Amino acid sequence: MDRRNFLKLLGISSGTALISSCGVDKANEKIIPYVIPPEEDIFVGNPAYFTTTCTECPANCGMQVTANEKVYHDVRNIFPTKLEGIAGHPVNDGALCMRGQASLFRLYHPDRIKRPMMRDGDGNFRVTTWKEAYAKIIVELAAATGEGKRNMYFSGRTTGTMSGLTDDFCKEMSVERLPEFEVFSHANLKKANDIVFNRPEIPHYRIENADFLLTVGADVVETFMNPVASANHIQKAKDKNNLSWYHIEPAVSLTGVQASKRFAIKLHSEVYLLAFLLQSLSQQNSLKKSLPARISRLIPDYSITVIAERTGLSEENLRLLLSRFANAKTPLIIAGGVSTAQENGLETAVFAALLQWATGMTDNTVDFDHAENYGSVGSMLDVRKLEDSLKNKQVGVLFISRTDPVTYLPEAEQFVELMKNTRLRVALSDFMTSTVQECDIVLPLSHSLEAWGDAAPRKGIRNVIQPAIEPQYDTRSEGDILLQIMAQKSGAASAQFYNDYLIDKWHSLYGEGETVGMLERGYREEPVPSLPAILSGDGTEAFLKNAGFVVESSDKPVLVITPSIRAYDGRSKVLPLMSEIPDPLTTITYGEWISVSDKTAKKMGWKDRDEVAVELNGVSLKFPVKVQHLLPENIYMVQRDLIYPQATPVDSRSGEESWYVKDISVNATGNHIPMPIMSGSMHEDNRGLLPPEEEEHPYEHKEEHPVGRMYAPHEHDNYRWGMAIDMDSCIGCSACVAACYVENNLAITGKKAHLNGREMSWIRLEPWVKDDETINYDLMLCQQCDDAPCEPVCPVYATYHSKEGLNTQVYNRCVGTRYCSNNCPYKVRRFNWFDFRLPEPWDKMYNPEVSVRTRGIMEKCTFCIQRIRHAKDKAKDENRLVQDGEITTACAQTCPTNAITFGNLMDKNSRVSKLAHSNRAYRALEELGTEPAVHYLPKKESKEEA
Amino acid sequence: MKSIEYNEQLERDVLAALSKPSPWYWVALVVCALLFVTGLSLWLYQILKGMGVSGLNNPVGWGTYITDFVFWVGIAHSGTLISAILFLFRAKFRNAFNRSAEAMTVFAVMTAGLFPLIHLGRTWFFYWLFPYPNQRGLWVNFKSPLVWDVFAVSTYFTISLIFWYTGLVPDIAIVRRYATGFRKKIYSIFSLGWTGSLRQWWHYNRLYVFLAAFATPLVISVHSVVSWDFAMSIIPGWHTTIFAPYFVAGAIFSGTGMVITLVVPMRKIFRLEKLITINHFEKIAQTLLFTSLIVTYSYIVEFGLAFYGHHQFEAAHFTYRLLGDYQVLYWIMLFGNSLLPLTLFVRKLRRSIVYLFIVSIFVNIGMWLERFVIIVTSLAKDFDPYAWGLYKPSVVEIGITLGSFGMFFMFFLIFVKVLPVLSVTEIKEEAAHE
Repeated sequence: MDRRNFLKLLGISSGTALISSCGVDKANEKIIPYVIPPEEDIFVGNPAYFTTTCTECPANCGMQVTANEKVYHDVRNIFPTKLEGIAGHPVNDGALCMRGQASLFRLYHPDRIKRPMMRDGDGNFRVTTWKEAYAKIIVELAAATGEGKRNMYFSGRTTGTMSGLTDDFCKEMSVERLPEFEVFSHANLKKANDIVFNRPEIPHYRIENADFLLTVGADVVETFMNPVASANHIQKAKDKNNLSWYHIEPAVSLTGVQASKRFAIKLHSEVYLLAFLLQSLSQQNSLKKSLPARISRLIPDYSITVIAERTGLSEENLRLLLSRFANAKTPLIIAGGVSTAQENGLETAVFAALLQWATGMTDNTVDFDHAENYGSVGSMLDVRKLEDSLKNKQVGVLFISRTDPVTYLPEAEQFVELMKNTRLRVALSDFMTSTVQECDIVLPLSHSLEAWGDAAPRKGIRNVIQPAIEPQYDTRSEGDILLQIMAQKSGAASAQFYNDYLIDKWHSLYGEGETVGMLERGYREEPVPSLPAILSGDGTEAFLKNAGFVVESSDKPVLVITPSIRAYDGRSKVLPLMSEIPDPLTTITYGEWISVSDKTAKKMGWKDRDEVAVELNGVSLKFPVKVQHLLPENIYMVQRDLIYPQATPVDSRSGEESWYVKDISVNATGNHIPMPIMSGSMHEDNRGLLPPEEEEHPYEHKEEHPVGRMYAPHEHDNYRWGMAIDMDSCIGCSACVAACYVENNLAITGKKAHLNGREMSWIRLEPWVKDDETINYDLMLCQQCDDAPCEPVCPVYATYHSKEGLNTQVYNRCVGTRYCSNNCPYKVRRFNWFDFRLPEPWDKMYNPEVSVRTRGIMEKCTFCIQRIRHAKDKAKDENRLVQDGEITTACAQTCPTNAITFGNLMDKNSRVSKLAHSNRAYRALEELGTEPAVHYLPKKESKEEA
Repeated sequence: MKSIEYNEQLERDVLAALSKPSPWYWVALVVCALLFVTGLSLWLYQILKGMGVSGLNNPVGWGTYITDFVFWVGIAHSGTLISAILFLFRAKFRNAFNRSAEAMTVFAVMTAGLFPLIHLGRTWFFYWLFPYPNQRGLWVNFKSPLVWDVFAVSTYFTISLIFWYTGLVPDIAIVRRYATGFRKKIYSIFSLGWTGSLRQWWHYNRLYVFLAAFATPLVISVHSVVSWDFAMSIIPGWHTTIFAPYFVAGAIFSGTGMVITLVVPMRKIFRLEKLITINHFEKIAQTLLFTSLIVTYSYIVEFGLAFYGHHQFEAAHFTYRLLGDYQVLYWIMLFGNSLLPLTLFVRKLRRSIVYLFIVSIFVNIGMWLERFVIIVTSLAKDFDPYAWGLYKPSVVEIGITLGSFGMFFMFFLIFVKVLPVLSVTEIKEEAAHE
């Protein structure tokens, strides 16, 4: 063969090999063409947006769903990949809390109930058909009615059209609808408002109108009512009215440490403080409305010394509170949480309501017209009634929908036994909860992102719930289920779909045009009749006459069962992201713990992770210790989701359950429990992460260093991206952390990895204890330094400085020396120790805009470079530069207080430039000369306030 | 002038080591080989699973692997020191040690060179660290000390290998004379046709001096570059200008320690007492003592800088190193590296082989711990207290470390059976001068 032929042959053969090898993968890939193009304007690469409502907790925030078209297991479909608040929504105005963000983990949860099930003769669940399940229900309902038994519908909080449909269903099927079951029923608040105003409601607190806010126990930025809205409104009030916000609490909460001033109060003494305030203000004639004499004479009158002694607040602080109330134009007091869920809780709530009325709040800050929709929520008294009916074998068919009493009631075993006294138990649920395990028929519910519906979180707002994805399993919405049962009973061939039912309802209520507008906006505000709150002299007098004030004299240890910002009442515990993100106060991620006062810990010689046995109500529970600063001595805290329900006293007047377990004893067991505490130390020690203090630290070296350079500084053309974080606005809610996880496909690494120090968060909230008196936070993320220590050490240029001032991390190029992470003084880089992929089907939620990292490479905050890319592309198409406010990072987008501002530092007029150049601004570890692009504005000192 | 008989006796004594190995030799070799293979398997496991099988974590990105790397590079150093620098200074006692020291250098650099690969998150892309032309226009970052490492270590390995081999050529020619059959063929090839002619000796000597002169600055440069891996960073405890001399001294110190550890049993097993005398040991013990003093001085200077610097982070770091979570390791290190070698001021102890052997073991441990403490304590608690975290080597890391010792000793055991452990020609030369 000559050379020519050889080359020809080589060319042909290699060409053929190349072509055939290209074909192989394509041939195996299923290509499903659009026979019918989707109705929505979906283009590959462009996400679709839906407006809907978050159902992760009863706050019902407006939610915008980002859905991307993706090929998943060879099937092309659209998948919700990100949840954000609807901008301008009357409830949450663009923000969404971390639980809401994590709701995607519920949607794609592998443990969801996937098809209807019925218990067979052996007592095991077997898969059944909907029709069969309905038939059984209908037969049993009729049989029960025949026996003269009552059928009952027991559900979680239900609002909007669903509430009406449930009523229709109950009427049609002769079922009795019970008051709804919520752990946080706020029964004392409702009862107090009933007593004082004859309005058994929870008003809408218009914090944005206040110039002085006193929160008594109410964890307004964690779980109380609508934390996102509260946080948002607190910020608005700070901007508008220069709000000062004081918090009073017997324990310690995130809300407390975020307030401008926090007072620790002795257990159960809030009522004395409020009575004192009321009485003193009235004597000073500083009340806007004077109390009728028959009421004011019933208010106990104590001297300031007695109150100081009883509450533990200094006389100086008491006077400060008085002057605040006297001088404030629009003061607002919110009692709730740990302060109303106690033996004096109802009294506390009543005095808070009286103080509200007398200081004139009911006019503009306490809004009963737009009351929160808690009217149909019952209390423990209603649960007792249900238990009595069960005990007397009066119940035929028991429907339990979206609620889990067996998990939440202290008398779970007894309740399970009582449930057996029914003919049939029907569960409507998305998970196999303890309650569902005890039922006979399980009807799986669709996630709210798979279903139609609406919600009315408070009067005057109707939120739309619309699906962003088809039901992934054989699940149905509660509305569909009820309609179908009714249709099957009446013998109709097919039931009306719940969405048709809804649209009919909306049309009849609002008209067709308005319905379309509502669907597009995601909500509708409706006028409500105004009915001013009038003091009910009789009710108040009657109550005060009989009121008893418990004085807590025992100094035995007390356990406070607090709500959890991550799990709410426990319902969000199933979301793995909620365990991955640290609890903001303790920085613990996975597992359980008991918070112990630093003073107690010092006295007992306990350290973090020491195990203690807690004897309470005759049982012994073991927890590892977390030393908690600011917590008063002898008070122990466990979050509600970490302890099974304890039998605590129930107020027979309101049905509110106390959150306190008294007379506990706590003893060390001598064991040490590994516990993932993310914070290595809570003492900042003037290191430069918080703004420098005035007094000279022994080691502090404050001279100006001359800056020597080997290389020319970076040049930036049009953009240098930067961030300003206002720690005075930040309330530590960690919504930004959750947003970052979902937006950037961060790995969920699990408890073992966390114990080994291998969390993957790109942004974290760092608590710092100052002088054992306050806890200040900073929000740490990649500082995108201009002189970044990570850049010169990378041997392969996997991290380099972009023209726009970003420390770009090139995943493909990274070989994983980890030198960049070692050299990062902020320690914000994250290494992929393993292939941390989300297991199926959670991987459906991956954001297709962001690559999923594999093992062995470094990653870190990118300032959401994919969002920058999109905005720049758009600006380029329109032949202009990116405008200020056009790009927000995921963390900034979801911040309820707009504490994070992202933008272009090259633009002197951008918001971020202005904040960065404000005289409050400082940068973290500035002394190192890294020239960070993140500027912090410190928390305003409460000293200045006083 | 010694007789021909003396020369032949010498050759026989040295080459006796090459005779048929004893069962104990085989046991040792198999143990080392097993350790080596275990280490390799663990590495494979790590590649397949991810770096997470190590104990490394968020603040502590470097740990045992980098410690091992620095340790083995350090071990390598005294080889070059003994053969090249002492050669240039005409220190005669080196003849007893130079061959094994050079072999040690080559094997230690080979072992050390593996660790940067082992510690990579994506080992399979290790070649990206080399500047090779490619279509993607990608280049390495010459600002990064890790790239300097690539050059430093590979240059050092090349020179050490050539230097060692050059010294071996006349000796291989002697072995060729005694060997038979297939072995003879192999030795013939590697003796490069050495005849011992005057012309060859003349060339040999010129080359040897040149290589010795070439290798000497490498001793300084390589470990300086290794130390810059740390010194170029901004981490308190790493970021200090004394690191280069400090690490060079440390390297020579640890290498000298390792020479004693290796030569003492070798001398005993191969009955080389006549050739490696107590006087030789005393000299090397003096080197050990001298370098120990330099290292101790560096420790003091480090703390002095932190103390006088009034720099919060430095001060906090050195307090932590002394009294923090890893204090036990630090104190063991101080005992092994600074206190115990001081006893060598006593002549009697300096001349006790057993005592020297014990001291050398402590020096080895101490120097390994020195690197571990520098690397780990600096990373465990740096600037941001929130990010602080502790590190503990995992089973895989310990296995790979043991595997590296297995590899080193395996090569050394093979070396003593296939090549003359002492430089026959140089001992002859030394004898001739007497």
